[in-house]
Amino acid sequence: MTDDEMAKMLELFDNLRADKYPLKEYTSVGRRGVRRLDGYEKATGAAKYTMDVQLPGMLYARFLTSPYPHAEIKSMDTSKAEALPGVRAILRYDDPELPPEADLGGHEPSSEPVLLKVAHFQGEEVGAVVAADSEEIAEQALKSIDVEWEERPFVLDPEEALQPSAPLADPESHPDRNLYWEDVEKHGDVEKGFAEADKVIEFKLRQSLNTWIGPERPCGVWRWSGDCPEVWVKQQRPHICKRAIASWFGGIPMNKIQIHCLYQGASFGGWSQMSWNMGGHYCAAVLAKKTGRPVKWVFNRREDFYGGEMDEGVYYFEVGTKLDGTITAVKGRAVFTNQLLPFFGFVRHFHENTKIPNIYGKTEVVRVNKGPTVPTRCEQNSNCHSLTLVFNHVADALGLDPTEVALKNDGAEGHDMTRLNSRKAEMGFQVRDSLKECVEKGKATIGWDEKWHAPGTKRLPNGKMHGLGFTWTHEWEDSAGSSEIGIRIERNDGTATIFGCRADVGLNAETAYCQIAADELGMRIEDVHYNPQIDVGFFAMTPDSSTNMSVNGFAVRNAARLLKRKILEAATSPRAATQLGSAPPAFPGKKPEELDIKDSVIYEKANPSNQMALAKFVGYSGAMGPIGSPRGEPAPSVKGVRHPFTWPLFAYGWQVQIGAYAGARLRLCRQAHFMEVEVDTETGEVDVVRVVTVNDVGKVINWEGCEGQQYGGAYMGVGRGRSEEVVHDPMTGVMLNGNLLNYKIPTMLDIGRIDTILVETGMGYGPYGVVGIGEDVATVMPSLISPAVHNAIGKWVDDFPITPDKVLKVLGKA
Amino acid sequence: MSQAAKKVPVSEAKISLVVNGDLYKVRVQSNWTLQYVLHNELGLTGTKELCNEGACGACAVILNRRAVLSCMVLAIECHGKTIETVEGIARAKHSLVEAYVKHSCMQCGYCTPGFIVTAKALLDRNPNPTEEEVKEALVGNLCRCGTYPQHIKAVLETASNLRGG
Repeated sequence: MTDDEMAKMLELFDNLRADKYPLKEYTSVGRRGVRRLDGYEKATGAAKYTMDVQLPGMLYARFLTSPYPHAEIKSMDTSKAEALPGVRAILRYDDPELPPEADLGGHEPSSEPVLLKVAHFQGEEVGAVVAADSEEIAEQALKSIDVEWEERPFVLDPEEALQPSAPLADPESHPDRNLYWEDVEKHGDVEKGFAEADKVIEFKLRQSLNTWIGPERPCGVWRWSGDCPEVWVKQQRPHICKRAIASWFGGIPMNKIQIHCLYQGASFGGWSQMSWNMGGHYCAAVLAKKTGRPVKWVFNRREDFYGGEMDEGVYYFEVGTKLDGTITAVKGRAVFTNQLLPFFGFVRHFHENTKIPNIYGKTEVVRVNKGPTVPTRCEQNSNCHSLTLVFNHVADALGLDPTEVALKNDGAEGHDMTRLNSRKAEMGFQVRDSLKECVEKGKATIGWDEKWHAPGTKRLPNGKMHGLGFTWTHEWEDSAGSSEIGIRIERNDGTATIFGCRADVGLNAETAYCQIAADELGMRIEDVHYNPQIDVGFFAMTPDSSTNMSVNGFAVRNAARLLKRKILEAATSPRAATQLGSAPPAFPGKKPEELDIKDSVIYEKANPSNQMALAKFVGYSGAMGPIGSPRGEPAPSVKGVRHPFTWPLFAYGWQVQIGAYAGARLRLCRQAHFMEVEVDTETGEVDVVRVVTVNDVGKVINWEGCEGQQYGGAYMGVGRGRSEEVVHDPMTGVMLNGNLLNYKIPTMLDIGRIDTILVETGMGYGPYGVVGIGEDVATVMPSLISPAVHNAIGKWVDDFPITPDKVLKVLGKA
Repeated sequence: MSQAAKKVPVSEAKISLVVNGDLYKVRVQSNWTLQYVLHNELGLTGTKELCNEGACGACAVILNRRAVLSCMVLAIECHGKTIETVEGIARAKHSLVEAYVKHSCMQCGYCTPGFIVTAKALLDRNPNPTEEEVKEALVGNLCRCGTYPQHIKAVLETASNLRGG
């Protein structure tokens, strides 16, 4: 890399501005119908997941789990289990092989006990792990372990947990009280805002626990090859796995660890952050060492239901507004449960997204005897619930159209659109009104103006009540992160391979990165491939930290631009020295800048007929021996033909950038979503008949990928808003519905119709003005069901999920 | 033998299965499901275990021309039967596969084979399904990633193509 190139790349890290170097024209980027890389493998069942891994001699490991929500192991007898045929090893919490703690952080380094002695929720992995010839034998062995438990009192409800008389949920970590995190986010002066208000409204919302439900069960495989671990991870963060593993057993050199990150049966971020994910690997490593065999650790289906999204809790709001819908103050208090990363708050969107000058939000997080709650597509759920309900309650209280209230308050950091627009211009973006564009497109599609009506006033011929709902917020990519990408032009056929280990959870992002590389290199999309599963030391942003497309997109682009330069330099330079003299350049007498590449063919710009296909240019694979050798001897079969050899065509790119969480960026792109429901007032059932989802993604790289996130987000959102709840028995603390029959994720019939609309204002901070979309819809959509139901029945059901019993209750029928 | 092992008498049997046109002779334990045998013993890993209780459709296979949930079928009961899995559908180059790729019907892809198998069974018995019939056929297949609308397009388009439309 020349100094100039380095300077140019570093300049790109300054991401507080619009992309300065977009392409003049796009061939693959933004084209519909680009064949997805993983499509054929997945459609044919050939795609391999960690659960599919079977190695010769492999053992299966299963964990003991607590039958009680809060209990301590007083003693444990594993002798019967050890005697079972097929049981090869049992690891106990009191084994000397286990250190007091190891780095088991799934998100950031975090030191944790590997096998616990005390369970803080029913179902927690504690005490022992068994490795056996089959999962079934391991299961049988667990049942043969005699455990003397000392049960402790427990608490499940967040507000009960705050009471001074409440049992301590986790006295080991929080010996004095269950409240373990308090934080206030404050902007302006809410009391002043209330004084200026014409009207002050108050309401409360409650959100129950929901969870990710990864289709692939939690699992992992560990094999020792001598002192080198080979590890198959079902984890969205392969780089973090590797970093943690490197710290185990007194330290394992990074260059001895091989990670395999196969296709991931999605877990939407949640599962990967669980310490018992890495804990599984740690135990598997010890068991594999003990037995000399590879070990696959697995959870059963039920065990994937412990833990969940971090929005569970109770939220109280007081909102001041002018009669025209100008909101003057938002004051809130929220009590959340078990948040592992308790710093995302719940009123931040008012600050990031609106001109509301006075905001106060107090977050309290309490420990209860349920699993940890972690960002699960995603940490912004609570912020979205707040924004959706505050805006819709205001519109309702004033009798206004909620789309008008949104547009009236759109802005940033307490300032209106004038300020935001001038910042857009300063940063080099087009000045476009993203929210207005999204709202107008969505309204036209759903027929808002014709269908909108006063709450509780429209009964349909089928007897059900008709409702419309609307919500909005900003775009959804934090855009912070670091990424390393390598691209190599393969010998023989001149195809390009992108390297950068990351988890493929199905977003089709790999295809999008290929599209970027193809356009930057001047290659056909079918000549570019990305294999994210192999660990060659480069790690890209993976579906974590809410950032992929902008960071990886830049890294791919940086690599591709450098590689193109390298190809053109090679094309104008003498090729490898041979025994018979060096081969002349492919384009003799030309300079790199006189050449270009299109459709995988190098050509002279001034004379396009002077061309050579990349495939021909790159020569054959190296290390071939004397025939067609890298040294360029004539191949005996083809008299007189030489095989010139270029230098390896490989380049790497990287990107490091800050993001919006740090407050460094203003959010410029918006999203708007619309929902139409029919409510049966006799049964309380809510039918979601139509969803219109509008996302400003700045620029579309991969249409089908973006639309997939809109469809998927709509379904997941509707599930969360209407039917998904992890239910615990208040008497025993036992989780009651850890299965797919009783935890109701949406089926094909749960939304009547979805219209997807993508808006391209170019106001994203990523390459070509892109922002990501993966978390957006699923996060904003869940609470949208509340205003839609309110519009149908004229009453608020701010208690999620909005199940039929809750609807009937507000209707006075239950 | 320990006491615990005595409690679970497991009998074994050698069965024959014709899977995707190939004859397999396989020794199975009486409590093994067809899903387990296909996935773990025969290496046909496209037949996925997801819910393991007949609630999700990911393990669907075609057994004697009918889509069944292989996690709810004991392998030992399938002796002599003919089974088609997603691998067989792919090997036969059924046009559903390309339609699924074209319409981007997969995200994480874990449930995708089960959809293809269910859709294939539908098209075998009903070459001209309505949208409602497609939905009805596929409603038992759960997709956590929410790809549902794309499946409907792919199945209807395949049906039309197979009819020469």
